[in-house]
Amino acid sequence: MTVSLAVTEKSSPQMLAPHGTGPGIAANADVALVAAAAGGSESAFRELFRRHTPHLLQFVTRVLGASASEAEDVVQDTWMRAYPALVTFRNESSFSTWLCSVGLRAALDSLRKGKRRSTEFVLEDDDAPLDLPHHEDRMDLETAIASLAPGYRMILVLHDVEGFTHEEIALQLGIAPGTSKAQLFKARRVMRALLTGREKHDVQ
Amino acid sequence: MMFSENHELSEQERTALAALPRELTPSDLLEERVVRALKSEGHFNRATRGRSQWTRAIVRIAAAIALFAGGVATGHYALSQPDTEKQTAPVNQASVSKPVPQNTSGAQTVKNSETVVAEREMWL
Repeated sequence: MTVSLAVTEKSSPQMLAPHGTGPGIAANADVALVAAAAGGSESAFRELFRRHTPHLLQFVTRVLGASASEAEDVVQDTWMRAYPALVTFRNESSFSTWLCSVGLRAALDSLRKGKRRSTEFVLEDDDAPLDLPHHEDRMDLETAIASLAPGYRMILVLHDVEGFTHEEIALQLGIAPGTSKAQLFKARRVMRALLTGREKHDVQ
Repeated sequence: MMFSENHELSEQERTALAALPRELTPSDLLEERVVRALKSEGHFNRATRGRSQWTRAIVRIAAAIALFAGGVATGHYALSQPDTEKQTAPVNQASVSKPVPQNTSGAQTVKNSETVVAEREMWL
């Protein structure tokens, strides 16, 4: 089964709530900054940008498995999408989470347009045998994540790094929660093989 | 680093994932790039643009009111003109020669001519 990572374009960015996110002083400051920026304040937008771009850039870089400079184009695209949509931000989740959901859409579009890959971006086939990588050397965790296939990488980053639930990932990517779970399981297996290097055969 | 074969992440794996950096410093130019791109799409300074739109609307309304008042004044002046003419008519009639009637008949014209001739002869 091959499932395209189709995100509904019509819907506004979904509010995902990662574990441990709660309202606080910073969140209140974000709300005020969002309101001011949406009202046309450039200084408020710049403050918002400086607060959230480092995390957004890291998130997009991991999702794309790209260099920071490549990811910056997607970050710019994210802000271009997020700014007109600031008025829709309702503080139901943190601004950072909301922004990452916009960033995820921008990253998906970037992958689909083949800016980085010539092939269509699809989730990995659930029924196909797991093709574990053949690397002689051990990788560090960051490199291993970047080496994963796009479908695996995205699910792993969203779940294991960013802390989203399978239901939230399913909602964001337009897939079933079961698909998300299956993809994560396989993504972890591949990542473990990458991290153990020559021990891959033991994993298989 | 050894990763377990369980479906769930081991404590070691969780720790390793949690230790991953959460932020990446963007290049210095990115902020300016984004702000410039947003400006080119007409964002920011919406408050100033809003003010100028209000100013334009107020000026338009004022111009419309001025036009309307001008129209009312002109209309009022035009309506008051016949009354003025009536008041000044006797003065004008005295200074202006009597117009020749247009619808007089031929006999009346002859009679008038004879009267004029008779008056001339009387004076001569």
